[in-house]
Amino acid sequence: MAVKTYISDDNKHLSIKVDERFDFSQHQHFRDAYNKFTEKGTLFTLDLSNTEYMDSSALGMILLLKDHAESIGGKIVINKPSDAVNKILEIAQFHRLMTIES
Amino acid sequence: MTVVSNKADIKLALVVDDSVMQCKVLSVLLKEEGYRVFTANDGARGVAMYIKYQPDLVLMDINMPVMNGFDAAKKIKNISPNSLCPLIFITSLDSDQAFIDSIDAGGDGILVRPFSPQVFKAKIKSIQRISDLYSQIKKLQQEQQKDAELAEELMSGVIESRNYGLDKISIVKKAAALFSGDIQLTVLCPNGDINILLGDFTGHGLRSSIGAIPLSETFRAMTKKGFSLIDIINQVNSQLYDLLPIDLFLCATFVSISAHEKSAYLFNAGLPDAYIFNDDGGIKHQFSSNHPPLGVLPRLMENSRLTIVPIEITDRVVLISDGIIEAGNDNGELYGVERFEVAAREGIIAKNLASVLMENIDRFCAGKPQEDDISLIDIPCNGWLRQMGVTEKTNSTNNNSLEAAYQTTSPDWQWNLKLIGKSLAAVNPVPMIMNQINDIEGAGEHWQSLFTILTELFVNALDHGVLRLSSSLKKSEEGFTQYFNEREKRLQNLEHGFININLNYFSLVEGGKVVITLKDSGDGFDSLELFKNNSAAEEHEQLLSGRGIELVNQLSDTLEFQENGTLVEAVYIWQNKKN
Repeated sequence: MAVKTYISDDNKHLSIKVDERFDFSQHQHFRDAYNKFTEKGTLFTLDLSNTEYMDSSALGMILLLKDHAESIGGKIVINKPSDAVNKILEIAQFHRLMTIES
Repeated sequence: MTVVSNKADIKLALVVDDSVMQCKVLSVLLKEEGYRVFTANDGARGVAMYIKYQPDLVLMDINMPVMNGFDAAKKIKNISPNSLCPLIFITSLDSDQAFIDSIDAGGDGILVRPFSPQVFKAKIKSIQRISDLYSQIKKLQQEQQKDAELAEELMSGVIESRNYGLDKISIVKKAAALFSGDIQLTVLCPNGDINILLGDFTGHGLRSSIGAIPLSETFRAMTKKGFSLIDIINQVNSQLYDLLPIDLFLCATFVSISAHEKSAYLFNAGLPDAYIFNDDGGIKHQFSSNHPPLGVLPRLMENSRLTIVPIEITDRVVLISDGIIEAGNDNGELYGVERFEVAAREGIIAKNLASVLMENIDRFCAGKPQEDDISLIDIPCNGWLRQMGVTEKTNSTNNNSLEAAYQTTSPDWQWNLKLIGKSLAAVNPVPMIMNQINDIEGAGEHWQSLFTILTELFVNALDHGVLRLSSSLKKSEEGFTQYFNEREKRLQNLEHGFININLNYFSLVEGGKVVITLKDSGDGFDSLELFKNNSAAEEHEQLLSGRGIELVNQLSDTLEFQENGTLVEAVYIWQNKKN
């Protein structure tokens, strides 16, 4: 599977890790990864350390995740984006929309 | 070739068997299933009948004289490789090899004798079901393709064919799919400036182009009404936010080029850097994205504003989408910014940026299929200055009827607006006035000059009057930026001050007259000194400031400053065009 998830013991933290390519083909996997988590205040961490390519539909998917997180009073944090991915996030100025941790 | 088409619901079957007896048996069974049946007694004849009747089903014996069943099947499948017509082998060869050979020859199934009529009919039904499904998909696919082509035609026809100035601006658009998610718009402003947009909607294909029509309508309509670029961007953003689903948004660069101000206004939300090159291909300015894509946030982020830079007429503004930077080759390399800058430089020196760059990208990609839409807009800063208003302006001294009408005392209508304090920072009165005039007097070309007069007078009253900015700042490039930063700051902190705008409209026998007065709360200035400086500057062609008033002076019939320069009255007269 190109999208992996890890859940913390207290069920309050979901970590999503995407493979090398993060594009439209991941759409369904990506949605399935977080859709069922509706625990109030869940922290969603999106680990992009392995991701080397990301297209604009991936940016759209991140916005969907953000919307989901906020609808249940939670938050999204992007974790360790690779250089290539960071450049794309920077052009889209996503650091002004969410936390990006290097 | 004669094609007998089977229009009605009756399906045609072709039975190819060298045994006349077998042909008859199968024909009877097929007729019971509602088929119309043709028969042939050898492979070659079977192929000929197939071509002639284009059946919906073929039953084929294997061992036959002249041409055997495998060869005939291969021929038939070759004639129409994507045909929906299933072909079933009927044989008494009950071996694995016969089965494998049947499928290899292009058969869709095999029936081994002996079989009961029920088994035969069941087999035909099942194979026909698959074939029906196939034809349904095929039909849907064709319809979709047709819709997409129609929509594509509409898009390029309605949206991009209305672009302005394509004799000077070069636009490259290479779509990855039938539909490009990229959009390029160029529109002329009422005051002769030109507004340009390069946009990239999320993804490709039909889905990514649904926002294109509202985007182009808004961009075009607001530009033509004279709204400022930042107002347009604001409106586009909130419109796309309301309209598009969360994961669909627009990365875009907006540029406004003002030839008479010799400056460019830029805004980059999510696209790669935009460039201003000089005529040697050197990079004068580079503008990185400093705002999230449009349609993501309900409103633009606070303190969002345009970057303003001075330009020379020899400069070029170049906008690109990420499809250029991210074009890849088979070694997994990306084209990248450095290659782009080198190729752009070569292209500018060769005076053909677009084709030099595209050839360079093609060579780099070496045939690897394109993954993203590729877009480029190359705009020269030269050639936009129009002979504004000269033909529209009347020569009132030579026209008695106009001169008589000039004396009229009571206007047809008046319009007055006083903007005070904060409202000066928030409201641009010029589009409001233009709307008013269009509503009352109808549309007309001569309003373009009026628009320019109003804009210049308002900006002057605001900048130099209310905000007390000195135009001498704009004489150098550094000062130019400083000027606009300072302007922004003072606008934000504006508590007092006012501008009072008054319009009096008089209809004349063959045209009309508008008297515009603006009174501002500033300290005023020595207006005589201004005109003296201006005529001196004209000779040098270098001053970045003061152009506005000179332009107004040219466009209006009379221009007069009173009350120490805090009150200005401009009279604009036009004559209706004679047909």
